[in-house]
Amino acid sequence: MDTKDPLEVNRAFSNSVEISDTDVIEAMKEIGGYLDITPGDLKEVLRIAHLQAMKRIANSVRVRDIMTATVYTVGRDTPLRAVADLMAEHRISGVPVLDSEGTVAGIISERDFLSHLGTGGSSSVMGMITWLMKGQACPAATLHSQTAADIMSSPAITVRDAVTLFEIMELFSTRNINRAPVVDADNRLLGIVSRGDIVRSPLAGMR
Amino acid sequence: MKGTSTSPPRVNNTEIAWSWIGAFVGIGFISYANVHIFEKIDLLMIVGSFGASAVLIYGAIKSPLAQPRNLLGGHILSAIVGVTAYQLFGTELWLASATAVATSIAVMHATKTLHPPGGATALIAVIGGDKIHQLGYLYVIFPAGGGACIMLIIALLINNLPKHRRYPEFWL
Repeated sequence: MDTKDPLEVNRAFSNSVEISDTDVIEAMKEIGGYLDITPGDLKEVLRIAHLQAMKRIANSVRVRDIMTATVYTVGRDTPLRAVADLMAEHRISGVPVLDSEGTVAGIISERDFLSHLGTGGSSSVMGMITWLMKGQACPAATLHSQTAADIMSSPAITVRDAVTLFEIMELFSTRNINRAPVVDADNRLLGIVSRGDIVRSPLAGMR
Repeated sequence: MKGTSTSPPRVNNTEIAWSWIGAFVGIGFISYANVHIFEKIDLLMIVGSFGASAVLIYGAIKSPLAQPRNLLGGHILSAIVGVTAYQLFGTELWLASATAVATSIAVMHATKTLHPPGGATALIAVIGGDKIHQLGYLYVIFPAGGGACIMLIIALLINNLPKHRRYPEFWL
């Protein structure tokens, strides 16, 4: 059916500590009594149980449990200067764009800003720095006259709040995105979930 | 066959001491009772396999093999198997022995009562000599089940004396 197990693929999300032979032996010593199992077998049991627990948590924790509910948003007509201000002031890397009915129209991330700078097509930070160091024209010149609708990614990839942690990790890895607005059945914004939220989730408690 | 693990760590000295105490009292009690009470009424209360049980129920009390279910179930079921094997194949001792031990293992596995001394109890029922053969199925209670019970009571008392020890891990 599917490709790789997202839990194996997304090692970056949960840097699960690998239990070593010495860890197991020290633990057995601490218990003191005779444990009728070899350290090798015990280590294998622990490894499988750990993976099992991660799968269980990933399938039971839902996006609504880990999402950020207070979301900063902008409108389609918000000038880019204001969008940038908002993102800088609140230190957020992505902001949903809402249309006049309050539904999610698109999403703007740092990458969208970078790819619309007048730096000859490069959308990386280093590309921009190179451009600046060459003493070229201000790359932000093109942005002054634009609004959120001009650079946003649309339609935004959104998720429903009942989606599991497992499914979110799969989505982030296959679509190569770092955040997703969480919406209800009418596409109204409920919150936003990012890779940071996953790292801070109960799954991270498994380490 | 190369082996992929290491031996578990050595137990601490406190554990060694309590194991010694438990085994001394347990086997001491049964041997004493055997000589001074049971043999006088022509019954047997101790058999070689109890030495092996003592290792488990006093020395490795966390082991699944040392739990009461295993101790009692293992000895009783294996005694039944052993006596039966002798009565069926006693004319060919090698056959009775092999049948007794192999079958007792299978039965203990199937009933989740695996207890290594059970294999010995089954074997002794076959090669333990005339006195044991004459007991017939009485062997199942005197000494197998009865002796195991007495050893269990002493294990419950002594193993739980120190704060850091507890026994059993499970009953059923």
